[in-house]
Amino acid sequence: MAQNAAIELKDVSLSFGSNEILTGIDMSVEPGEFVCVIGASGSGKTTLLRMIAGLLPPTTGAVLLHGKAVRSPTRRVAVVFQDYGRALLPWRRAYANVSLPLEASGMPANQRPARIRQLLAKVGLANHEDKFPGQLSGGMQQRLQIARSLAQEPDTLLMDEPFGALDAMTRQTLQDEVLRLVAERKTTVFFVTHDIEEALYLGDRVVALDSNPGRVAYDIKVPLPRPRDQLTTREHPEFLRLRREMFEIMNKIHA
Amino acid sequence: MKRFRVLDIVLGILGLLTLLWIWHLVTMLELIPRVFLPSPAATIAALEWGLVNGDLLPQTLATINRMIQGWLLASLVAIAVGSLIGVSAIARAYIQPTLEFLRPLPASAIIPVAISIFGLNSSMVLGVVVFGAVWPTLLGTIHGFAHVEPRLVEVSRLLQMSRWEFIYKIGLPNAVPDILAGMRLSLTVALILAVVGELLTAQEGLGTAVLHAARSYRAADLYAGILLLGLIGLVSNYGLAIADKRILAWKN
Ligand SMILES: Nc1ncnc2c1ncn2[C@@H]1O[C@H](COP(=O)(O)OP(=O)(O)OP(=O)(O)O)[C@@H](O)[C@H]1O
Ligand SMILES: [Mg+2]
Repeated sequence: MAQNAAIELKDVSLSFGSNEILTGIDMSVEPGEFVCVIGASGSGKTTLLRMIAGLLPPTTGAVLLHGKAVRSPTRRVAVVFQDYGRALLPWRRAYANVSLPLEASGMPANQRPARIRQLLAKVGLANHEDKFPGQLSGGMQQRLQIARSLAQEPDTLLMDEPFGALDAMTRQTLQDEVLRLVAERKTTVFFVTHDIEEALYLGDRVVALDSNPGRVAYDIKVPLPRPRDQLTTREHPEFLRLRREMFEIMNKIHA
Repeated sequence: MKRFRVLDIVLGILGLLTLLWIWHLVTMLELIPRVFLPSPAATIAALEWGLVNGDLLPQTLATINRMIQGWLLASLVAIAVGSLIGVSAIARAYIQPTLEFLRPLPASAIIPVAISIFGLNSSMVLGVVVFGAVWPTLLGTIHGFAHVEPRLVEVSRLLQMSRWEFIYKIGLPNAVPDILAGMRLSLTVALILAVVGELLTAQEGLGTAVLHAARSYRAADLYAGILLLGLIGLVSNYGLAIADKRILAWKN
């Protein structure tokens, strides 16, 4: 028997009232695969991610994780939101924010400190454990959210435009950190972005959504070597070719 | 942060001194007969005598005790009940209009009810203080729960947190600013009702002391009592403001 896909969407559609947002979505993500989803604003990327997370049931069709229908959220799946400022607990220090998933999963209190410090160190926040989220920069807050999501030891990571609000430098640094962190644990990643270059740089595959209603317009493999590198990957002839192709496709979709 | 700058404190003290000075002038020029308004010096002398030789100290403590007891009990009830109501949108919709009906009732209006239930004793006073002081904190708690950031509700669902975990890790901390604001309001209410309660039941306390002083035309003692009541309000409010600032450090 073939191995079950990490994420599988079978003829999924979603409507809010009479408003059809997504229609006929068929998609499958292999374990360990890094899939990027791009699409215009309002094409339903976030909605799709929320369905996979179990926060929103599909109107028709089925969402499966490792072959099992999703009914409600599970701690095997972690979500990183774009609006880190709202997703963190403002009254908890960085340390205690990372502690939250460990508490939820029932890790004994005496095992938590070492794990929390290890995670904070992984995202470069070792010296900021006593700061409240409000005292951290945007990039640091997003690092904190990433550390919190990793505390769940998820086998699937759903990221919704996680770097959309960050400056270009911070963005590149965090892209590489995420690549490194998910490669360590062979995590499956479903990564939503607006940015074609970001999608190509990170993904094994890029899925483009068409709007009104949202549906899969294009699903393309990215055969670029790993580990990726901000300079050589972005100058790779295949990267440039794919980038051109994607731009043309996106222009056609939005024409 | 900025509220407690030295300048603010100096200005505040100057304001109080101004009041004292006007009071001094009014009595010096005898704009109001001394029998009705004693001089600040006479009042402070009466205060000193009352605290050292008289019963003013135990009376003050009795009133503070009554106020704090009622306030703490009211706060506990308000936070517990408010959390249970606040955590459920259905419970909020169900009970909110009832609360809005009960809240504006002047606590003095329920005194007759309290007397018929408890009689003229200290339980009645406590009951009235609790009834009056419970609303600001109760409504604050419910408001805090109703306004949890939707993202954080999602985070709690993603982590499969139990309802109880949600209450004490997300709902309550989110409501803390509203709870503290409510508790500050209700402390003032508690002081007023503690005094009214003691007047009605003739129990030992500052309220009763003030009433007796007025009845026997001891103006200086009367104003000494009023001064103490004002001080209790001032000190407790500043104490809570400082506690606020420490507890809400994450907001700055
Ligand atoms: N809870 C909701 N109720 C009604 N309509 C909604 C709801 N959530 C999203 N929508 C609508 O669904 C459509 C898709 O929204 P969604 O947030 O998934 O888009 P998106 O692709 O993530 O856009 P963006 O790139 O701007 O984040 C939008 O038209 C939005 O108005
Ligand atoms: Mg979105």
